[in-house]
Amino acid sequence: MFGESVRNLMAINALLALSVYLTLACGQLSLANAAFMGIGAYVGTVLTLQAGWPFWAVVLAAVLVPMVVAVIVGLPTLRLRGVFLAIATLGLGEVLRVIIINLGATGGAEGISQIPVKTQGWHLILALLVALYLTWRLRGSRMGYAFEAIREDETVARTLGINTTGYKLIAFVLSAALAGLAGVLKAHLLHAITPGDYGFVQAVDMLTFAVVGGSTIFFGPVLGAVLLTALPEVLRTDFLRDLTNLQAGWQTLMLNGVILLLVILFLPNGLTSLFTRQWRRPTPLASEQAGAEVVT
Amino acid sequence: MIRRTRWLGQAIWALILILVLAACGTATTPTAAPAASQAASAAPRTSAAPSASAAASAAPSASAAASSGATPAASGAAGGATKEVKVGAILSLTGDSQIYGNPQKQAIQLAIDEINASGSIPGIKLVPIFEDDAGTKDKGITAVEKLIKTDNVTAIIGPTLSNTALAVFPVAQQNGVPALGVSTTANGIVEIGDYIFRDSLAEAQVIPVTIKSAKEKLGLKKVAIIYGVDNAFTKAGYDVFKKACDDNGLQITSTQTYSATDTDYSAQLTAIKGTNPDAIIVSALAEGANIAKQARELGIDSKITIIGGNGLNSPAYIKNSGAAGEGTIVGAAWNSANDTPVNQKFIAAYKAKYNADPDQFAAQAYTGVYIIAEAMKTAGPNVDRKSLRDALANIKGLATPLGSFSFQPSRNAEHSPVIQIVKNGKFEVLK
Amino acid sequence: MPDINWSQQILNGLFAGSAYALFAVGYTLIFGVLDILNLAHQAIYMLGAFCALVLVTGNVAGLGPLPGGVKLPFWLATILAMLVAGLLGIVLDRIAFAPLRGRPDTHFSGMISSIAMALIFEALATWFFLPQRSQFPLGTIPGGAITIGQGALSYSRLLVIVAALVLVVLLTALLRFTKLGKAIRAVAENPKAARLLGINVEAIYSFSFFLSSALGGAAGIFYGLAISRLDPTMGRTVELKGLAVIILGGMGSVPGAVLGGYLLGLTEVLSVALTNTSNYRDAIAFILLFLILVLRPSGLLGARRVREA
Repeated sequence: MFGESVRNLMAINALLALSVYLTLACGQLSLANAAFMGIGAYVGTVLTLQAGWPFWAVVLAAVLVPMVVAVIVGLPTLRLRGVFLAIATLGLGEVLRVIIINLGATGGAEGISQIPVKTQGWHLILALLVALYLTWRLRGSRMGYAFEAIREDETVARTLGINTTGYKLIAFVLSAALAGLAGVLKAHLLHAITPGDYGFVQAVDMLTFAVVGGSTIFFGPVLGAVLLTALPEVLRTDFLRDLTNLQAGWQTLMLNGVILLLVILFLPNGLTSLFTRQWRRPTPLASEQAGAEVVT
Repeated sequence: MIRRTRWLGQAIWALILILVLAACGTATTPTAAPAASQAASAAPRTSAAPSASAAASAAPSASAAASSGATPAASGAAGGATKEVKVGAILSLTGDSQIYGNPQKQAIQLAIDEINASGSIPGIKLVPIFEDDAGTKDKGITAVEKLIKTDNVTAIIGPTLSNTALAVFPVAQQNGVPALGVSTTANGIVEIGDYIFRDSLAEAQVIPVTIKSAKEKLGLKKVAIIYGVDNAFTKAGYDVFKKACDDNGLQITSTQTYSATDTDYSAQLTAIKGTNPDAIIVSALAEGANIAKQARELGIDSKITIIGGNGLNSPAYIKNSGAAGEGTIVGAAWNSANDTPVNQKFIAAYKAKYNADPDQFAAQAYTGVYIIAEAMKTAGPNVDRKSLRDALANIKGLATPLGSFSFQPSRNAEHSPVIQIVKNGKFEVLK
Repeated sequence: MPDINWSQQILNGLFAGSAYALFAVGYTLIFGVLDILNLAHQAIYMLGAFCALVLVTGNVAGLGPLPGGVKLPFWLATILAMLVAGLLGIVLDRIAFAPLRGRPDTHFSGMISSIAMALIFEALATWFFLPQRSQFPLGTIPGGAITIGQGALSYSRLLVIVAALVLVVLLTALLRFTKLGKAIRAVAENPKAARLLGINVEAIYSFSFFLSSALGGAAGIFYGLAISRLDPTMGRTVELKGLAVIILGGMGSVPGAVLGGYLLGLTEVLSVALTNTSNYRDAIAFILLFLILVLRPSGLLGARRVREA
């Protein structure tokens, strides 16, 4: 029912949501993913246009460079917790944006346009499947248990002999790789990139995908990304417009907000609640524990 | 739990993989196809295609390619005498750029109502379909795809922002749908392909004239520049301003920037004030009014002229800058004081309908609709995407609110820019 | 290198800092009390400004004049608009945050539901006030400026600085010396213990939202007046800087937010004055933020926090 470009964007957004999920799975709220996506997009585009590398090499570089940056940035910042990490990583994104705007090779505010389309549908699907498979295998693996332990309680995890810094860094670097991959694939799909595409709005969008879908299970983020990408498109179908006299503009914005709100309020574990049995109201015990978990 | 479900998981994975591989054949092609320019690539691929082409086959169409165009919905009352032709408009109706997209939407609606009421295109009734891109590439390309494949539009107007256009226009080009930018001034727009037009003068067509006449009239020697560093429009404007200053031998005393989220410009303006320029060049959009106002608040003398481009050509600039804006020199594509009948009729009609003065965004969007209508007259009632494109390319000397309008062979706009000065709260032609 | 007009640049910095501080105190208050980032604070800021505008002009751009042709003087409109903003804050809490309390992921989900509310508020504002830039009519407050050294400061800008000082002092006094303030601090410290002490925790949450939003509304009004710019997306422009400010100062700390605000405002201005270029201004602000976070993760004045699970 959706057009080509909507399906492609769904896949890209799903990759981005999984990238956020990886850090969330380890209890880290990082907003650097938009910046890593930007690094991937710019590295890839410059290599394609100015160095003429073959596409597979471009993609490889666009995955590796964000990983390296993630190691350099991650070492000092991963000591930070909760919202502090979020803001530090957000700061990284802003600094990167300013650098891109002022560099010559990146085309400044006008960005880079006329990028040849090299990403094909099956690239996206393959990338998404591999990412899904890896995150799925994560569950139940040694690393998966370590992530879970750190998410539940970092201090306890450390006393249990888990190398918390190491695992957090791994999560951070893997998530950078996924974001870089999504960035380069998207750049070679949409013909043009601009620095503004990788800012605060994009960072919050990705987080929204993951949380709305449900960040406790690996397919949740994908579900969130797919449905939230579809939502504005559904709202602009002729069928709904005829039915409700809905116009593009503030009415659509409003409906977007209302639906997002309803999902958050009534589906505690995101959209995955619809598929698991966790949809029942949290028990009194669970609500007693609340507030103590997740973020400080 | 985990152990027990693992075999099931593996099975589901295998199933997904098979399904995906099976679906791959259908899911890949269009964006991967090279930009074959002509209607051949416009063959509809989506599920909407069968019904569309079935409908088209009932029309007295000249060629098979007609499926890629007008939907010949015989509207009941007219009894088949007129045919509905859909025109899509992709505009920034929400988000940060909504203040530019909404006047465009109003102007397009006005023009289409006028054209339909007068029946000036024989046998054709225009049906607008507005889509919001929220100022983003993502929503822009999904919107253009919906317009082309589901709504089967014959032409596209917009998007509002050049950044969005750089992602949207290649899709129109690949599908052989004529697209007309009405506010896209950046570089590399019409170069996307032979289906891409714009009626907005590029900055390079306006600014050099502005600087030259400002220098002559005011005897400028040194100027300071302030511009938005992270916006394609203001940055492109700066590049052209800088070159024009160099060409005219003007010394640049200070170059300051701001970013789109800034609202206070006093630090930059204080730095500019310290360099004692003869004029301040402002490459800005709506925030230009705030920059002018804050400059005067900081005690920058009103003898130091503010010079700007298309972004300042709006009644909102005069209204929001007030006394601070007096004497501002604005080089632009449209002059509200231009007393040609078609311009005065546009301003009066816009004001009557929306109780507001139109700005340049509105004027260019309004003109865009009339350009498309003129091309449809040439192409005749059986207009399709290809014949509309060819007719558009031949637009010459059309009387519009912007002046006598033609397309250059490059599909850029061709009409003379006006250099205006703000006097007594009105734009006047600088003489 | 041209002379730097120090007195003017310091005034510019004080103005920017006051605006940041005024926006950030309400922001940080909610974080202090509920441990939640309220991303709809920027929408309340915008609605507060528009509410005052409506009361001053007696006209809603998208709907027409107010019934009875009401037009109020600026000071009265400001007080009423702050009340309305405060009430909107309570509504926001009841709709978007209260139902989520007690959920294990309340921090994430609260953030997202506040984003949803910000979208709804923005849509409403676009409907009521049209997608256009508005401003307070000329003469809302007297034009003119005071001069300090070689610097000029318009009355509207002076008003932002004074309002920030007065409101922050009032807020601090309220938190420190009144019974209500003590209750707020008790809830911020430990809601469960506060409940055992007989404090009506839900009422305190509501009141915190009222305070925070009234302050946010005031920030929108005074800043919108000073820079002559009101539009439905005006809140987005301060959101990110506001976040930076409350982190700099230490999240949940009111004096910290004020300090952070002035620090950011002055840093931005001085980076322009000293380097005579503004290209890296935003980067300098965020590198500073980054350094402070790495060197002192709890922020400048954030003593408590880092509450372990």
